[in-house]
Amino acid sequence: MIARRLVTRTMSAGAYYGFLAFVMIAALGPIVWIMVSSFKTNPQILSNGSFLPHPATAAGYRNVFTEVHLQTALVNTFIYAAGGTAGAVLAGFLAAYPTSRLTFPGRHLMTVVFSVALAVPIVGLIVPEFFIEKDLGLFDSKLGLILFYAAMFFPLSFVIQRAFLVSLPFEIEEAAMLDGAGYFKILGRVVAPLAVPGLATVAVLVFIFIWNEYFFAQLLTISFGNLNIQVTLAEFRSAFQRDTTAQLAGTTIAMLVPITAFLGLQRYVIAGLTAGSSR
Amino acid sequence: MAIPIALSVLPGVALFSIFILVPIGVLAVTSFSDWSVIGLHFVGTTNYARLIHDSIFWKAFTNTVVYAAVGIFIQIPIGIVTGMILAQRIRGWKVFRAVLFAPVVVSGAAYALIFANVYDSRYGLLNWVLHFVGIGGRDWLYNVSTALPAVAATYAFNAGFFMILVMTEVAAIPADILEAAEVDGATRLRRQRYIVLPLLRHIIGTCVLLSLLSSLAFFDIVYILTSGGPNNATLTLTVYAFQQYTADSWGYANAIGVFIVLVGFIVIVAMKKLFRIGEREL
Repeated sequence: MIARRLVTRTMSAGAYYGFLAFVMIAALGPIVWIMVSSFKTNPQILSNGSFLPHPATAAGYRNVFTEVHLQTALVNTFIYAAGGTAGAVLAGFLAAYPTSRLTFPGRHLMTVVFSVALAVPIVGLIVPEFFIEKDLGLFDSKLGLILFYAAMFFPLSFVIQRAFLVSLPFEIEEAAMLDGAGYFKILGRVVAPLAVPGLATVAVLVFIFIWNEYFFAQLLTISFGNLNIQVTLAEFRSAFQRDTTAQLAGTTIAMLVPITAFLGLQRYVIAGLTAGSSR
Repeated sequence: MAIPIALSVLPGVALFSIFILVPIGVLAVTSFSDWSVIGLHFVGTTNYARLIHDSIFWKAFTNTVVYAAVGIFIQIPIGIVTGMILAQRIRGWKVFRAVLFAPVVVSGAAYALIFANVYDSRYGLLNWVLHFVGIGGRDWLYNVSTALPAVAATYAFNAGFFMILVMTEVAAIPADILEAAEVDGATRLRRQRYIVLPLLRHIIGTCVLLSLLSSLAFFDIVYILTSGGPNNATLTLTVYAFQQYTADSWGYANAIGVFIVLVGFIVIVAMKKLFRIGEREL
């Protein structure tokens, strides 16, 4: 009886690892192949002789900075991600606090509208977004894209932070209120420090989302000095197709930032995704 | 308190109104217009009448359904199975979780470039692998019959997001339910099949909902890899709307946009009803 159990247990463990290995190769094989091949020379890539580079070269990484000026795109993307994240997190916190812990007319309406907006496929709004940015004089500007991203991720930020603030005990503000502290003093001194975990979760998630954003970046910016890294990568498909090794190096660099952020801050990414999607 | 509260919600309400609410209004109203660089004039339901008879639009719609089906019948089941395996905390589960989730944070543009190389007819990884097993290669993305499955295959195995959702849900199952089953002598596989899986109904519903919404918005990979071609074989609703925008056919682009937003709403309401998302049983 025990022996039979042991046998089936070993068999199911073998099946488990077999399945995991299959999914891992299917999902990561192409990504790893690109990362490895980014250290090959162009003739090596084209002849496709071996999986590993032989000999390895960093020419792609050099070209991508000297010929393609990927550094401009990297700095831009960082500006968009940092600015958009700051905007979405701050606006989300300021709106989530009163709707979660105070009563005032319109609070339910706001909560419902922002939560529903989380699921609206805003990619349908191509033409209106273009004209609103243009009419406000924000088209093809860094501020224009930062404000857009702050708005795009505001509903997600609001929903996650609201869920977090609701879970805090209500006594925390009472003492401060009795002391006669004003609204923003309570918000900044008492609530904000306790809200940091929720805030950090949103920040990590939104930063990665904006880093990876392509659709609105290519819609709302056109000059080279404003392009983000994803739009620059897409340009590789047409403009720099001959220098394949530079293309692969650029792709690897673009991927490494969110992958590193995820591996370092796994707990926040996972908490954020689970909180954001269960609503 | 009224003034501070108003000030507090103001930035969010302003951002939301300017960049989401007003655009939705503009979208709906101008979808009834003929709008281009020349000007805007209202034409009633002309754009919608054109939509119904536009075979390219319906091609984009059926392609979107195919992309959604790949998400629901390949991506999500892989996510459920990997999630259920890793939730049992088998040896090395943390490493597997991190490694299988990593592709989720890789951007659509990066995916497009990765698979442009995987499918390359001269040196691509796919033809190289197929050569080893004795199958002749082809030009996957430029062939009408292989382009759609090739584009869909780019994300079919990227199931880490659904895996994470399933793992979290399994962790929320009270331990005594599983312990009782173990005492009753149910095998590991049976416990998973008859106790864990039925309890995952809500989260599977959430997975289906999110998958459908992302298929509806599917753009980056298609646009960069094939621009919707060859002969519209890979075209999605979003790529088609964008093509109409670049062709200065703004009223018609907006009619397609209204269709996308409306389908999004229908999907949300239908999935919430079907899987009773939001109603907790445990």
